[in-house]
Amino acid sequence: MTRLPFRTRAAHTFQREVGRLAAAFWVIPIAFILRVLMGYRIKDVAQVRARYRALLKESDHPLLICPNHLTMMDSAVVAWALGGSWWYLFHYSRMPWNLPEYNNYSSQLPTRLGAWLIKCIPVIRGGRREDVSRVIKRVQHLLSRGETALIFPEAGRSRSGRVEADAVAHAVGRILTSVPGCQPLCVYLRGDRQQTWSTVPARGDSFYIDFEVGELHSDHSGMRRSRDFSRQIVDRLVGMEEEYFAGR
Amino acid sequence: MTRDEIFAKVVEIVKPFVKSEDALAAVNDETNILEDLKVNSARLVDIILNFEDEFDIEVEDEDADAVNTVGDAVALIEEKLS
Repeated sequence: MTRLPFRTRAAHTFQREVGRLAAAFWVIPIAFILRVLMGYRIKDVAQVRARYRALLKESDHPLLICPNHLTMMDSAVVAWALGGSWWYLFHYSRMPWNLPEYNNYSSQLPTRLGAWLIKCIPVIRGGRREDVSRVIKRVQHLLSRGETALIFPEAGRSRSGRVEADAVAHAVGRILTSVPGCQPLCVYLRGDRQQTWSTVPARGDSFYIDFEVGELHSDHSGMRRSRDFSRQIVDRLVGMEEEYFAGR
Repeated sequence: MTRDEIFAKVVEIVKPFVKSEDALAAVNDETNILEDLKVNSARLVDIILNFEDEFDIEVEDEDADAVNTVGDAVALIEEKLS
């Protein structure tokens, strides 16, 4: 794993610490927006959070959260569903770093500042490989420091409304192969009223969430190994989706 | 294998992933695989894995980061074969 330049590492430390100091002023309001203004509910939320906390107690490996992707609020809903709000104030390293598409929020300074505060690392999807690589190295660095990150293993929001097994983002496997001990947490999230992809979930929706640590294997090395890992995660999400629909 | 032969094979491998046929017709060393040929970035990985199979080489992620143009791909393969 390549060591980041001092300046980049210092910038991450600064970003994390400012976010931590201000956490009460953004973690709680975001939870309020999700819970009260949007009226979202997580099914069996106490059980979900207890399972997640038990999982974290069992293992201190770096955790890469890999959810399916249907709306632009998935990362916020997943983080809220797994950790709640108050809990993150005392376990700030467990608030996942996110990789939002820069062009989705870059038009105004307040949204850029807001994204910076809430542990976002901007990425331009489909951009130059060197630039994407720099972002991946930043995530590798953060994971190796005990932080948690969230990255969507599908290349974008699923247009079909189902996990798209052909749309595999290579970056997930690349991160997993390069951070020693890093474990993928496959997460399947879906609102009851979510038929296909959208910008935000329907107001008042109830979310089903399930998760499990992915077990990955590959006989290959290099890029082929990274690709195998990415595919296995997406395949597991496909399986979790089948379980969801079978159980309805 | 000569550079021209590598170039021709690279173009052949890239061809099925290209969305801009016009750019493909005028392909040269400076042609950007993502921007000019409109190849989906997720497919670039498949292309590089096809290079591995075709030329019997192994490419690491870090090597692949340098591949932006067709000329970059040819240079990488030449380096791996040497």
